[in-house]
Amino acid sequence: MKYSSAIYFFLFIIMLTPAQAKASDHLSDHLSEIVRANGLYSDKHYAESAQAYETLVQKGVENGYLYYNLGNAYIRMGKIGPAILNYLHARKWIPRNENLTANLKFAIQQTKDKIEPPGTLSTPLFWINDLNFNELVGFAIGLNIVFWVNLTLWMYFRTPALKTLRNVFLCFLLLSFVSIGVKIENESNLKLGVVLAENVEVKSGRTADAVTLFQLHEGALVTVTDKHDNWLEVRLNGEQKGWVPQNSLGT
Amino acid sequence: MKKKLTPFRKAALIALFLIPLLSTVSFGQDISVTATVDKNRLTLEDTLQLSIVIQGTQNTPPPELPSLPDFQITSAGTSSSTQYINTQRSVSITHNYRLTPMNTGTIVIGPARVRANGKTYSTQPITIEVIKPSSSGTIENKTAFIETALSSKKAFVGEQLVYTFRLFHRVEAKNLDLKLPFDKMWFNKEELGEPKPYTRVVNGLQYNVQELSIALFPLKKGLTEIPPAILELDLLYRTQNRSGRDPFSQLFNDPFFDRGIRTEHKVLRSQPLSVEILPLPDGAPKGYKNLIGIFKISAELGKKDLEVGDTTTLTVTVSGQGNVRDISFEVPDLKNQFKVYPDKPEFNQTIYNNQIRGEKVFKFALVPLQAGNKTLTKFSLPYFDPENAQYRLAETQPVTLNVRPSSVKEELNLVQSGQQNPPMAKPEIETLGTDILPIYTELDKFQSYGSYSSAFMGVGFGAPAILFIFSAFLIKWQKRMKYDVAYYRHRNACKNARQRFKHISEHSDSRELGREISEVLREYIGDKLNLQGRAITAKEVEVHLNKSNCETGHAERTRKLLEKCETLQYAPMTPGNTKELLVESENLIKVLEKQL
Repeated sequence: MKYSSAIYFFLFIIMLTPAQAKASDHLSDHLSEIVRANGLYSDKHYAESAQAYETLVQKGVENGYLYYNLGNAYIRMGKIGPAILNYLHARKWIPRNENLTANLKFAIQQTKDKIEPPGTLSTPLFWINDLNFNELVGFAIGLNIVFWVNLTLWMYFRTPALKTLRNVFLCFLLLSFVSIGVKIENESNLKLGVVLAENVEVKSGRTADAVTLFQLHEGALVTVTDKHDNWLEVRLNGEQKGWVPQNSLGT
Repeated sequence: MKKKLTPFRKAALIALFLIPLLSTVSFGQDISVTATVDKNRLTLEDTLQLSIVIQGTQNTPPPELPSLPDFQITSAGTSSSTQYINTQRSVSITHNYRLTPMNTGTIVIGPARVRANGKTYSTQPITIEVIKPSSSGTIENKTAFIETALSSKKAFVGEQLVYTFRLFHRVEAKNLDLKLPFDKMWFNKEELGEPKPYTRVVNGLQYNVQELSIALFPLKKGLTEIPPAILELDLLYRTQNRSGRDPFSQLFNDPFFDRGIRTEHKVLRSQPLSVEILPLPDGAPKGYKNLIGIFKISAELGKKDLEVGDTTTLTVTVSGQGNVRDISFEVPDLKNQFKVYPDKPEFNQTIYNNQIRGEKVFKFALVPLQAGNKTLTKFSLPYFDPENAQYRLAETQPVTLNVRPSSVKEELNLVQSGQQNPPMAKPEIETLGTDILPIYTELDKFQSYGSYSSAFMGVGFGAPAILFIFSAFLIKWQKRMKYDVAYYRHRNACKNARQRFKHISEHSDSRELGREISEVLREYIGDKLNLQGRAITAKEVEVHLNKSNCETGHAERTRKLLEKCETLQYAPMTPGNTKELLVESENLIKVLEKQL
């Protein structure tokens, strides 16, 4: 009875892996759609290719390489704004990808404003920018398992080495939790926006007749700090901020 | 532009500066100085807390303590307090000292003096009685004690003695401060590695032992005493918090969690050790350099067949037990047959069985100057063997080598002229165009997507903790079964009784049957209630069962059954009745199992 309970418990854990939890049924459909979209791209049918990638995104498929390919398709179509926006989405999932960094840089160079993505608030936790959320969570779960196993061993053996390891693992575990917290904070508060319209006037207020403070062009990167009705408050740096219509910005 | 301060801001600023000043000034408050101790009677293993409280001011230099040769004094910090009662403000500062007694007897702590406002204030003297620890000389039931030992009570000057310090403790010990007072006029000392932890049973009690060994090398002859070792430490007692039903309270009773710990500061002393240092006997051989121990020496040559001008290495290795580090050799005199280049000796020390052992390797590069068969001179090492109390000589075996005439003419190294080719200029690659990097087509990159599900994260973070809790309860249960005899007996009582009933034959003699059933029942109840089951009477069984909240009817039933069994010793029964008795006994145990 005891053994069977344990087996069921572990089977339950295995069944809950993310790939099996989300993608068991639709994975093959998505893959065939990706193959089709890649084929269209290779055949230089960039608009159709982008449409196919967009359909997958709208179905809820969130994958860094999918966003990257979509960004490439928009670049080929000459749509720098959506390209940069999709590269930024891709960066969330594949932050260390060199091709992505290069293409994002290339895309920004094509814009009139040439605004680089702003830095994050995680300078002491330098690894946060290089790891995606799943990697941070996976790392924390791994540490969590190691910590509790170590704690169990220490309960049994009570050796100084296990005690030291216990404290070390606890510190790392807490650090990993802090990292996850900072990552969540960064992704929710430092929401980046990309100007999708060819030219957008940044207003001092949330009306069309408010004073135009400055102009931004397609592909310009801004930080979205507030939202009111159909207007978004955007910030370029500490001093330049204002309101733009929501439909002119992609987030 | 300078901003003008408003009156309110001015007042706030003045108050800001005045508050710290006022805090140390007394407003005409009388100054008084008192000294208090936390106890008047203590043992050599305890420490005394001396507090000198200065009322009325906080702005005084530290108190001047009286001469206290019988105590070792350590500052334990100061604390200050400011109180407002109605409109009256009173300030005080307390200087705390920890006094460690060094001798027994009645000791008077003289007046401590405090200078304040140009006056000197003194405290009242305090009389302290320091006694020997209650079980001095024995280790019975002590939570912690120390002992020291010497490898020998007699040793020659320079011979290695091993001084072993052992701390025995049954509770966790922290903040260990060990003082091993050696007279540097008498001994040189050398650490023999890190302390070794192990467990040992003393008088039936299990102790954790920390053993530290030190090598002592006597420096002069005579009878000397190694003073007691003094160890100050904090003993951590785990307190059982029975009020809360939190299962984790015991689980995490650890300094790491800072819960359920009571600390006791102790000063432990060992007994002094006497040792007689003997001088080295006369008759030291020529070249003797105060080497004491047991040594071996060997010599080895790298190449034994070489040409004039070639190089070979002579390796002389000295190893043994004793002061190997001090061994040195002069560059061998090879009578102009070789050029000799000595290398820096290599020394490796090991500690084996609490003895310092070492190996020192001397290397000499030899370049033969003449052809022919050569025999190198022997290396000899005179030393004193303390075990046999006599001088000995260790020698290398003679080493021979064959040196052939040189076959190669010396060639000059021709060096090219200093003209160098100018460095090649790095070609600059012209960028002709820029483009994006291609799309990804490998399907495996698209197989995983989305964030981890909350269920997965919940299991990932929660399951190990839950498994730990299960394991912790299991470990605690196993430990309890191992160490808690009453619990072990209680848990196994029913199982043991049933096993014994299986072996009782209903067809056996009714006297024997009555005796066996009675024994099983008493043993069962004894195990359940942690009593010596076989020795108690039927009436006592009833009393104990009633005390343990067993229903009165069952207690009475048990008594009657036991009395029935006793009666059987004198009035035998028929086989049918014996079977009934057996069944009744088994049923009674089933009922009692639910009750107890």
